[in-house]
Amino acid sequence: MSLSNMSKGAEGIISSINGDTRFLSRITSIGLTPGCKVKIIKNDKNRPILLYSRDTMIALNKDECDNIMVNTEVAS
Amino acid sequence: MIDGKTVIALLGQPNSGKSTLFNGLTGMKQHVGNWPGKTVEKKEGSFFRNGKEYIVADLPGTYSLSANSDEEIITRDYIASGKADVVCILADSSQLERSMFMLSDYAGIEVPCFLVLNLADVAEDQGKKINADALQKKLSIPVVLLSATDNKSYDGLYKCLDEALKEKTVLNADSLISEYSQIEGFDELKGLIPAGIISGYSTNWLAAKAIEGDKIVRDKLSQALSGSDKTKYESIISNTDKGALKTGESKFKWIDGLLDGVVNRVETKPVFGKFDKAITDKRWGKLVVILVVIGGLIGSFIPALPLMGVGMAISALIPPVSSAMTSAGAPALLTGIVCNVLLQSLAFIVQMLGFVFGVTLVFGMLEEIGVMARISYVFDNTMGKLGLQGKSVMPFLVSFGCTMGGAAGARVIDNWGQKVLTIALAWAVPCGAAWSIIPMLSTMFFGPGAVLVIIIILLVMILHMWVTAKVFGAKLVPASERYGMIMELPPYHKPKWSALLRYVFGRTKDTFLRVIKVVIPICAVFWLLSYSTGSVEESILYKIGTAIEPVTKVFGLNWQLFMAYVASSVGKEGAVGVLSALYSGTGTVFGAVTGANASVDNLNQLLLSNIAKPEALAFMMAVTFNVPCIVAIAATYQETHSAKWTGLIAAYYTVVSLLLACIAYHIGLLIW
Repeated sequence: MSLSNMSKGAEGIISSINGDTRFLSRITSIGLTPGCKVKIIKNDKNRPILLYSRDTMIALNKDECDNIMVNTEVAS
Repeated sequence: MIDGKTVIALLGQPNSGKSTLFNGLTGMKQHVGNWPGKTVEKKEGSFFRNGKEYIVADLPGTYSLSANSDEEIITRDYIASGKADVVCILADSSQLERSMFMLSDYAGIEVPCFLVLNLADVAEDQGKKINADALQKKLSIPVVLLSATDNKSYDGLYKCLDEALKEKTVLNADSLISEYSQIEGFDELKGLIPAGIISGYSTNWLAAKAIEGDKIVRDKLSQALSGSDKTKYESIISNTDKGALKTGESKFKWIDGLLDGVVNRVETKPVFGKFDKAITDKRWGKLVVILVVIGGLIGSFIPALPLMGVGMAISALIPPVSSAMTSAGAPALLTGIVCNVLLQSLAFIVQMLGFVFGVTLVFGMLEEIGVMARISYVFDNTMGKLGLQGKSVMPFLVSFGCTMGGAAGARVIDNWGQKVLTIALAWAVPCGAAWSIIPMLSTMFFGPGAVLVIIIILLVMILHMWVTAKVFGAKLVPASERYGMIMELPPYHKPKWSALLRYVFGRTKDTFLRVIKVVIPICAVFWLLSYSTGSVEESILYKIGTAIEPVTKVFGLNWQLFMAYVASSVGKEGAVGVLSALYSGTGTVFGAVTGANASVDNLNQLLLSNIAKPEALAFMMAVTFNVPCIVAIAATYQETHSAKWTGLIAAYYTVVSLLLACIAYHIGLLIW
């Protein structure tokens, strides 16, 4: 499912990321790549999503989270 | 090398403690300028060690070395230019895996470098043990653990620096290249790139960037290649999809391999405390932010008070100096220049400087602690509509107190266009000086209706900001540069007071020097225009004012009101004093502007009998939305480094304020 649909506390592993070159290079440089584990800290309406990944708390714009797909089944 | 001095460039992602290290290395010896031809701020400093001078260049804080922003392009061009003898790359030990990305993006650049694993104390608290020697062997460059906040821990860093300089240590990236080789087209592409095509970069680095879709590298390669090579190149490029993702995966695989046996992987849990919960709350978050800012503003008055006191003391010097000069037989013109221009503007600037000092300190502290990033998160959506970052809300709130403080506070916005746009919008926020005269004037003219006037002013402010965002936004923050938030919320850190204070003092000094250069000439011109030995009618300002009165009447401003409006561009608090001087014929116009002479006792009657309601409304609009004051204009120039944009914004505000006055006047005429 897409990152933007995940609710607070949910965990998963990024399966794919879509977007233009600029977005891809920015998102990888902050540490989000396919295969990387994420945990949702907060997902409120009209606010960026807060997630935790690679020891880091990251705020991500919601529209762009639509382009990040997460596999929520494999996470333990 | 610059004049035989060794140059060290600091490279690191935001929150890697780069500024702390910069401050720790250079202390007070800092200089803020601009990168040549660019609007990005350039920080340089220096230090002496064993009798040798070192220059430290603080490169802009970016997440990578791609070509997505001016900051990134400046950073990599500077490194490739060879101006730095050595590059000091920073990573955050507490988020080692993620923050090593910058190192992986550097791989392939042949400028000598060494790696600093900063925030070692935080990593230790997390229970992480990092073996710097093991990492050093894998990378072939010196590696050191450091806590930039602890001055005593710098010895290891100096040792690495010496070694990197002596051995010219180049980062060994062989294993990363083998990762890249598994990306389709990488090896083939590499084979096509002639060596040394862009100096400073290896073919590996260029091939990786071409795969990533780096526009600058792709254009360069496309120009350099011809014939069948070009056809091959273009077919590889067109077959590459989501290249940045592929190299990103390779980089993290490489980092993963590097860290094997170097650090014990401790799984960390997100820290999300009470304050985080409160400030990010859906309903109350914004209120918490506003309370934090108000608290910060009140707090910033405490360090501001001594400077404000100095300003007032200078002000108090004027009468005795003036009488002393007169009794010593100094010509009136000289006394005027010394007292009314030099001392008066100095007093004015120093008083406002107190506010700049306080705001820079409090904002710097909020940023260093990590609160600023949370504020950005909370206001991201609202400010995003104006093309701004969430942080922009801070300068806006500060501007209710002082626009100069707002402009100084805009420093925390890392994108130049957004910074200029933020300041441009902050000007529309009525400052403390406007609030000191508007309620008084509107009560005088409209009685209880004053509340309505103030509400109208606040509504006009919102509309003004929205329109101004449209007018300047397209140029300053083009649609192609508007993107959603991708930002780290760093863990809270204790601020390092000594470094912060040093920075704040340096910054205040810079502002003072720059502002005084702008303010004194303008004050001098204004003083000359209003100079008269006797009655107001002798002054040039009077002659101009009465000559153009037919035009200014269209805006609802007679010559007295128009002169007070012009005077309000110097300082709004003086506008009423100018009216008092003009209508009563006492005191000097210039003294009124800078608050030297008091208003006459029967001011109420004087104004009420001379000014009609529509004119009063027009005047209030004109003054409130006029340019803030010369000191704030000078501060805007200091922050934006652009005379062009400062002038443009000032001209725009002059036109818009007169337009608003005109509208208010004509609506007023219909009502009364």
